[in-house]
Amino acid sequence: MSGVERLATAPGMGKAFARALLPGTRGEGRIPDHTVELAPQRLDPARLADYSRVCHFTLRDRVPATWIHVLTFPLHVHLLGDPRSSIRLVGAVHVSNTMTLHRPVDAAEPLTLAVRVENLRPHAKGALIDLVGEARVGDERVWDGVSTYLSPGAHAPGEPVPVPRASFAPADPHALWRLPQDLGRQYRRVSQDPNLIHTSRLAAKAFGFARPIIHGMWTHARALAALEGRLPPAYTATASFVKPILLPATVGFRATPTADGHEAAVTSSDGAKPFLLMGVQRAS
Amino acid sequence: MHHNVVVVGGNRIPFAKAGGPYTQASAHDMLTAALDGLIARTGLSGTRVGEVAAGAVLKHPNDFNLTREAVLSSALAPETPACDLQQACATGLETTMYIANKIALGQLDSGIAGGVDSASDAPITVSDPLRRILLRANAARDLKGRVAALSRIRPAHLAPDAPRVVEPRTGLSMGEHQARTTARWEIAREDQDRLAVASHHALAAAWERGFFDDLVTPYRGVTRDAILRPDTSLERLATLKPVFGGPEGTMTAGNSTALSDGAAAVLLGTEEWAREHHLTPWARVVDAQVAAVDHPGGADLLLAPVGATGRLLARQGLTLDDIDLLEIHEAFAATVLATLKAWEDEDYCRGLGLDGAIGRADRSRINVAGSSLAAGHPFAATGARIVPTLAKLLHERGPGTRGLISVCAAGGQGVVALLEAV
Repeated sequence: MSGVERLATAPGMGKAFARALLPGTRGEGRIPDHTVELAPQRLDPARLADYSRVCHFTLRDRVPATWIHVLTFPLHVHLLGDPRSSIRLVGAVHVSNTMTLHRPVDAAEPLTLAVRVENLRPHAKGALIDLVGEARVGDERVWDGVSTYLSPGAHAPGEPVPVPRASFAPADPHALWRLPQDLGRQYRRVSQDPNLIHTSRLAAKAFGFARPIIHGMWTHARALAALEGRLPPAYTATASFVKPILLPATVGFRATPTADGHEAAVTSSDGAKPFLLMGVQRAS
Repeated sequence: MHHNVVVVGGNRIPFAKAGGPYTQASAHDMLTAALDGLIARTGLSGTRVGEVAAGAVLKHPNDFNLTREAVLSSALAPETPACDLQQACATGLETTMYIANKIALGQLDSGIAGGVDSASDAPITVSDPLRRILLRANAARDLKGRVAALSRIRPAHLAPDAPRVVEPRTGLSMGEHQARTTARWEIAREDQDRLAVASHHALAAAWERGFFDDLVTPYRGVTRDAILRPDTSLERLATLKPVFGGPEGTMTAGNSTALSDGAAAVLLGTEEWAREHHLTPWARVVDAQVAAVDHPGGADLLLAPVGATGRLLARQGLTLDDIDLLEIHEAFAATVLATLKAWEDEDYCRGLGLDGAIGRADRSRINVAGSSLAAGHPFAATGARIVPTLAKLLHERGPGTRGLISVCAAGGQGVVALLEAV
């Protein structure tokens, strides 16, 4: 069934997440082929303020691109909790993200959000899928984003296509960020992503991490916030989540200007190993 | 080496009552919003401006470099230097003079002055004894020493300290000081209410005619000063109970400024710099004067600008008749009224060392676009609200018109500045 599933209110994350926790079915991977669309929701201005604080953005009327991703996230959960999806969000690894803010978006603008899943393809460790999101004001597309997840153990027909790696050269960081133990909890409050690997040591252990890991989209947002004064009105931000950051942590950050934007890296504190590689480019 | 300094623009976010729409915004957020609005309107994105000076009266310890941090969050070039200054309620005017003086001396060709305050997000600190114990525990070399230090904490130490708005030497709040001045100068309740109503009506009229369209950018869904009550009336204000000066007092919530949140910024430059950046000079910063009174010795705390006004006019060889517009900061309606009476008082002025009374001011020239009673008074932002407002008002009236700004400040201080339209 292709088509559009229209939601009047944001799907509850708890229930959808419980479904998303169920193990994925074995065999050939399946993804739903419909789009979930969420009608504009009244936004709590305090939540954006809280998000800005946790991610180190200055509180502005114009929202950062990563905030719109946060707004679409319940639709990711809802779509992969669908019975027609054999791929589950829990256990899937967010490997990369691309989003484009087509024009400045005001915090008060009513956004229609839509997400679909596509491009199921083989990977050496399982299968990759893209969650493709879109935010519209009326008929005008103001933001779109592609979140690529790796579902370990899932199958997709064909030969794995090697995923191009963003280039990285070790260098001294320009800044050190101290990520406290409870940062996962702080980000959960503002993102409303209840995934326990960001907050619980036990859950983190179950997924093979010695300690809770910070949400990749926090790291992405924090890196974007470091460039906030220099972001063009419309931009594309890309992120490769190379390695998770275990909390608490001290990590390095480095940004260098490019012809049409910036390249940035969140690294180990000595700048040797990358956790996240980010690019920001002016969008037309 | 003297360069003409001109005001070429200004921007603020609408002011709002503390605990209102900006409750979640920090001083950093609001100052950045005011700067970015100014930068966007004047086309300075990515530009290295000479210097930015701003400040806040209620300041968190982590905001030690508030202005520089706001510059880094703003669209200005990150190579734009900045500093924090503070002179209580006169901060926004004192930062204007700091930048203007540097431009006049040839040290800068351009600069931004500003101020911000959040009474909603005021810094809460731990009590003094607790702070000392924590510092001692921190300095202890071993666990035993730390435990010994921490064992001295008593329940009473745990109550947090909110910043107080009382004068350290008198223990009196600003309102209590003004109440004494109000009684001493015999300022009637009705006159205060009348001035408050006039302020609201004048500010509302200025908004109505679009005067603030190039002076304010909306923030957090607020598009106009949120304290402004265009429909307020003498009858309505007459119903309010006194809040200062006891049951017989004349000062109410209606004729006193509300605790406010907000930020404001002023763009200054040489005339050449303004021309190069295709900006229209509104007014020249001519001169300024600061003064203080001995309020611990009983002097009227909020009348310190009177001495400054007399000295400034004398230095410039001007009288009140030469001044087309007066901007007297409305800390309280009674502050303005007492200031006007003091200007007319021969003995009081001589007591300040002036040659005689400053003179009688034409009431129709005072705060013609409203002032703090209607707009609100985020302490450090007020001066930076008034400077561009007056500069634009003078520019509308034509070259050569003069305006005087008078701002009182905690500590028995006052700053006065003179602008002239170009």
